Order: sequence, then C-alpha cells, then structure tokens
Amino acid sequence: MNYTLICPTAVPAVPALSRQRPLVLAPFLGRTVLEHALAGLAANGAKVVRLLAEDRLPEIQAVVGAGQAWGLQVVFLSPREGAEILSREVPPGESVMTLDHLPQAPERPLWDSYQGWYEAQLALLPAFAAQRVGMREVTPGVFADLRSQIAGDASLVAPCWIGSGVFVGSQAVVGPGSIIEDGSYLDSGAEIVQSIVGPQTYVGSVTEIRGSFAWGSELLHLESGSLAQVTDRFLLSEMRVRSGFAAGLAGIIRGIGNRGTAPDALANPPGLARAGGRFLL
Amino acid sequence: MKIEYQTGTLTLSDIGPLNAANSSTFREEARAALREGVTNVNIDLSQTRQVDSSGLGALIALQKTVGARGGAIRILRPTPIVYQILELTRLHRVFEIVRD
Repeated sequence: MNYTLICPTAVPAVPALSRQRPLVLAPFLGRTVLEHALAGLAANGAKVVRLLAEDRLPEIQAVVGAGQAWGLQVVFLSPREGAEILSREVPPGESVMTLDHLPQAPERPLWDSYQGWYEAQLALLPAFAAQRVGMREVTPGVFADLRSQIAGDASLVAPCWIGSGVFVGSQAVVGPGSIIEDGSYLDSGAEIVQSIVGPQTYVGSVTEIRGSFAWGSELLHLESGSLAQVTDRFLLSEMRVRSGFAAGLAGIIRGIGNRGTAPDALANPPGLARAGGRFLL
Repeated sequence: MKIEYQTGTLTLSDIGPLNAANSSTFREEARAALREGVTNVNIDLSQTRQVDSSGLGALIALQKTVGARGGAIRILRPTPIVYQILELTRLHRVFEIVRD
C-alpha cells in the first residue's frame, strides 16, 4: 500500500501547537506526530509515502529525511503534484490520509482541541512506551527512560512518561497524567500534574504546572487555550543548547572550582554530577 | 491606576502590566494609598495581561504591609494569563483570588 499523507498547516482549534514548529512536528511521546504517523504507516505495510506539506517544509524534511528510519521511501510532493493527486480518483493499492489522527489510533482526533491532543497521548502512552527502546515501566503506569535521572525522593504518580535525558529533582512530583519530553529539567520541588513539559524545557524550583503544556518559555492552558509567555527564566525557559566546544570549556572552568552562573548550572546541573550518570530510582 | 475606598477597604483597579518596568511605581502608589483605617486591599487585575517576578514581588510586599495591619489582600478577576503565572509560582495558594 502506498500512502499520500497530507500535513495540515495550522488548525484554528490549536494555533499554539504550530507557533514554534510546523503542526505535524508537535511533540508527542518522545517523537513528533509525523514520526509516529510514519511508524504507524510502516507497521500497516506502507512502502512509499508521499508527503504533502507546505508549512516550514525544510524543518519537516530535516526530521523525515528520505524515510529510511522507518524502512519507507518518503517523497515530498510539490503543491502542484499534490493538487493533481487529490483531484484524481485514488487507484487501488493507494490511500490518501490527512494527518489529523495517527494510524495507531484512528478514533482519536489530534487537532480538535488541546485537550484532545493531550488525551490522545495519554491513551497511547503504554503502547508507545512498550515500543520505545530504553523505556521501562518502573512501577505500574510509570514509564521512565533509562537515560533519565530521577532523585530518590521525587514522586512519580501513574500514568506518567519521563523521556530520555530528563532530570527530575529532589521532591519533585510528576503525575498523574504527566509527560516530560526528552532533555527537560525539573528543578527541586516542581510539581507537574496532568500536563506536558515539552522537549528541552527548564521548569523552575517549587513551580506548579497543572492542566498545561509548558514548552520553552510558553505556558499553554490545555482547557482554555490561554497562552502565557513567562519572562522569568528561573521559572520556565528553554534549555540552552551549547556547542560542544562551549560546553567543554564551561566544564573545565567548573572543574577548577568556579560553579558558574545560573545558566551554566542548568547546562550541567549539580544534581546531575552527584547522580554520576546513574538512574536513581 | 484607579484608587477607591470603601469602609476600610482599598480597591486598586485599571492596573496595566506588572513587570520590572513599572512594579516599583505600582508599589509606591499602592503604599501611598494605604491610609490609616485601611485594613483590606482589593487588587483588580482584570486589565493586567503581563506579570513577572517583579510584579509578583510588589504584590507580596503589599501583602506583608497589609498583613502587619491585620488585613489581607484579595486579587479580583485576574486575566487567564495572570492566573497561569500565579498558579505557576503557587501564589494562587497565598492570595485570596476571586475569579468572577
């Protein structure tokens, strides 16, 4: 079966999901929606997927490549080619699908509301955790990546997902119903309830995120759609991604006794050093 | 900022952004409006669409001042964005908040 997959550009019900990246690259349980969709199509026997995407196409191409990661041949259609395919009758052995749901959960629309997008993730959490290399169920309904580091006195309440490279600080609370995406840092005492923390996001000490999607410095309330821009970096912010040289230099400076400024501490937090790369559960 | 008095209660409204640029002004004006006999303060944040740690600091300072008089402050009708920041910082547990 060959598929033509139409990527929606922006959907009025969920405008905030396409602010930072194209909508189909919205985070979804450790990957993007599009990556999960391609994995689902591959599992359904797809060999060739034609992608019709217009919004920030180079970003999408950078994530998908030629589709080798899924054993697929992914072909990007020009708008003219897309219009041609959509105007003719779909031949046998081909299928046209709009990426408004995942093949793994056709009954769950993704973009009807923020709450729907969140609930689709909760519904698929156990199945996607089971498929993900490095993810393990540490207690019933609590899934944590082996490369995450979790303080021994943090509370994890099912259902929850803790991605790769995540740091959960002392006395932090995660869950129920919380998803912490890869590379995020929850400082001590942070409480994340029925919420999603997007990739590479710093959540400050003793903060509380409830019924929301926090990504970088943006805090989106899932039910109302209210979007707050947090200007204090110590409360909520994007983690700095530094070049290897800069990170190495900062490590050397710290090694000779200079603890550095707050942003440096975030790039290599003291808790991580104490953890020594071990999983602390 | 609009200032009104009613039997021991001071109400502050028409408050714009509460951030580093204007939180000092807000704090000074609010303190100046705390006449003798005022014990409680209502802060109407229905027109405030931006708040940061400086603005929150001004609210906490005012809470302390009013608390020393045996009173309290109430936040009235915070905009959703302001309420999100109050919740993020857990100050929704510190202040009495009247949402509507």
